Amino acid sequence: MAEISNVSNEFIRQEIEEFIERPEERERTINLFARARPEMQVIAAALIEGDNETVDQLTRQALDSGIEAVEVMDYGLIAGMGIVGIKFRQNFIFVPEVLACARAMKAGMAHVEPILSASGIDPVGTVIMGTVKGDLHDIGKNLCIMMLRGAGFVVHDLGVDTSPDKFIEAVEEIKAPLLGMSALLTTTMPNMGKTIEAFIDADLRDQVKIMVGGAPVTQDFADDMGADGYGKDALACVALAKSLLGVAVKS
Amino acid sequence: MQKISREELQKRLDQINELFASIVTHAQHQSTMRCPYKNRFDECTANFGCRNKRKPVAPGGLPVCAGDDKLNYRKAWE
Repeated sequence: MAEISNVSNEFIRQEIEEFIERPEERERTINLFARARPEMQVIAAALIEGDNETVDQLTRQALDSGIEAVEVMDYGLIAGMGIVGIKFRQNFIFVPEVLACARAMKAGMAHVEPILSASGIDPVGTVIMGTVKGDLHDIGKNLCIMMLRGAGFVVHDLGVDTSPDKFIEAVEEIKAPLLGMSALLTTTMPNMGKTIEAFIDADLRDQVKIMVGGAPVTQDFADDMGADGYGKDALACVALAKSLLGVAVKS
Repeated sequence: MQKISREELQKRLDQINELFASIVTHAQHQSTMRCPYKNRFDECTANFGCRNKRKPVAPGGLPVCAGDDKLNYRKAWE
């Protein structure tokens, strides 16, 4: 069993000391980082701090120097995110910090993607996501995006206040087979239906599956407006996306 | 360029998925009692108006959240 002193990175040592309380998690984390080379620990540290620029730069450097992508994932990105998950569960950090860390992880994973392509591995699917026109609430959408990316989807995030034209433009340009729309307000929810109508008017409805979600949205509402699917939360979103694209869903 | 096998990738995706799923589950639970836009410094990260927003402590900083989380914070969102 490794000791905390075997972890060379001071920041990681402090994170373990300060935030990981459960003995089995502490032991597992110490063992993991004790095996990680210093470069990986620095990547993990930057990820924990939500520093996407540093994660981007260090991941690229590590892969360029010949370190295997699986090592970067195991000992840098996933190991760092593991600490983030624990800190979140213990309420040391909250959703905004977690999303910043997820963005940093995405910055690192972006350098792994060309390796996947070169290995003949295609993404699970491509999805366009956005919050509908007039709505500036994005936490639910961002959690869905985090889950989708974690499941191997390529996600194009159109952000908030997305007009039907912007959704249509993105689907045409990216040729994405799946679109996800989110709304948090009852006042903006009808804009989902208007966007679906815009796809019908543009003669593009058959080219894209449309899934919807958000606090006030229900299955009935999704059916009424003609969506292909409704996800009640970010977990359901991944299963729904897979099912709409005909990807086998792991039980 | 280096290669990675489908199995090796899937193993990592499964790990990430498990990690994110627990994060999302906790986020859903937490959002019933704390505004999800409020960061660990009790600052508001929302890009929309909220009646609980107060001016930042330092110039250029994020607005301070004055919500007490006892009420349904969603009613304060504008």
